Amino acid sequence: MNRLFALRNHQSGSFTGHALISLWALSLCCSTGAFAQKTPPSVNATAPFSVRVTHLLGWPNTKTNCNGTLSIQDNLLQFRQKGRPGAQISIASVQNLFLGEESKQIAGLPMTLGKAAAPYGGGRVVSLFAHKKYETLTLEYVDSDGGVHGVIFQLSKGQGEMLKDELVARGVPWSVSPDSGEDQPTRQSTAEVTRENK
Amino acid sequence: MKTSKRKSWFILVAAIAAIAIPNQVFSQTVAVKSSSGSSGSAPQWTVQVGKVDSGHLDLAQSFQLAIYENLLEELNKTKKFKVVMREGDRKASEVPSLLILKTTVVKYTPGSETRRAVTTVSGATKLMVRTQLLTREGEIIVDQTVNGDVRFFGSNLRATHNLARNIAKAIKNANMATVRASYRDAQPPTLNADGAQ
Repeated sequence: MNRLFALRNHQSGSFTGHALISLWALSLCCSTGAFAQKTPPSVNATAPFSVRVTHLLGWPNTKTNCNGTLSIQDNLLQFRQKGRPGAQISIASVQNLFLGEESKQIAGLPMTLGKAAAPYGGGRVVSLFAHKKYETLTLEYVDSDGGVHGVIFQLSKGQGEMLKDELVARGVPWSVSPDSGEDQPTRQSTAEVTRENK
Repeated sequence: MKTSKRKSWFILVAAIAAIAIPNQVFSQTVAVKSSSGSSGSAPQWTVQVGKVDSGHLDLAQSFQLAIYENLLEELNKTKKFKVVMREGDRKASEVPSLLILKTTVVKYTPGSETRRAVTTVSGATKLMVRTQLLTREGEIIVDQTVNGDVRFFGSNLRATHNLARNIAKAIKNANMATVRASYRDAQPPTLNADGAQ
């Protein structure tokens, strides 16, 4: 009987211990969740950053459809072509940033001509597979006179998100734009929402 | 001997005439052309291009800004305007003869480059916009609906380039004499320093 009582006492002690451990684990989980919610994206806002891009249009004194490196350093955004320093704009002048996706045929004009020359419609079959998805980054900025400019860059998939995070970490406001490309899920544009709210 | 001399003299005169007369005619044409060119298309106006209004359509921001940027480039190419200004440019308030270009998207059909490449007949990206050239007072000078599309080759963004080119062409072909008259009517009477008109 005594033994049974002791066992029961022992069991209740163990139950309290378990409850304490569970409570501690629960509080730990909650605090981690809260911490994770508060943590900003892990981007060092002062470290230089660069990414390979294709300039589609809008960058000052730069040809369209040319490859280069877009770098962020000291609150300046610079597009370098073949290592040569190009025009630069202040990140503070960027008013809006939009990220989109687009699917494009690869290899440009030579491939197009090759496909056109292929017999029995072989080029069409090639076209089915010869496309790649890209991300487009659209920036809207103002010059020293207050004039609005638009710039569009094309980036490899995944890099647009990185560049966006870098710019957002440096204080650029951003909006999700409805994608211009094909086969894209429709995303809500915050820019439009703000326009509607006005 | 005498007849041969006369003949050669005649040939010489004819040759000189043949060379001189067309040259004179050509120079006259050039002169007329240049004079009409200088008086008819001398840029007198400044245009301020407004940002593209997508209306109620779900048009990507990249498309809107591409139309805007291409418009600026194509309007510069027409040489119809003294200065082509951007939206928000503070210098626009100081310009006396300012026209404002408004562009509103009326219709947009998103296309697909892959579908175009595979089928040729489908997948065209089509844009239709209403373009209005207004005076500062809001008087409409040009009001047209312009299309721009990409049907066979090229990326979807090429539609914006084609559209901007068509808008610039429409504005270039618009009768600028009407613009001048409309603008003159719209201008408030200028007063001298002593207040007399």
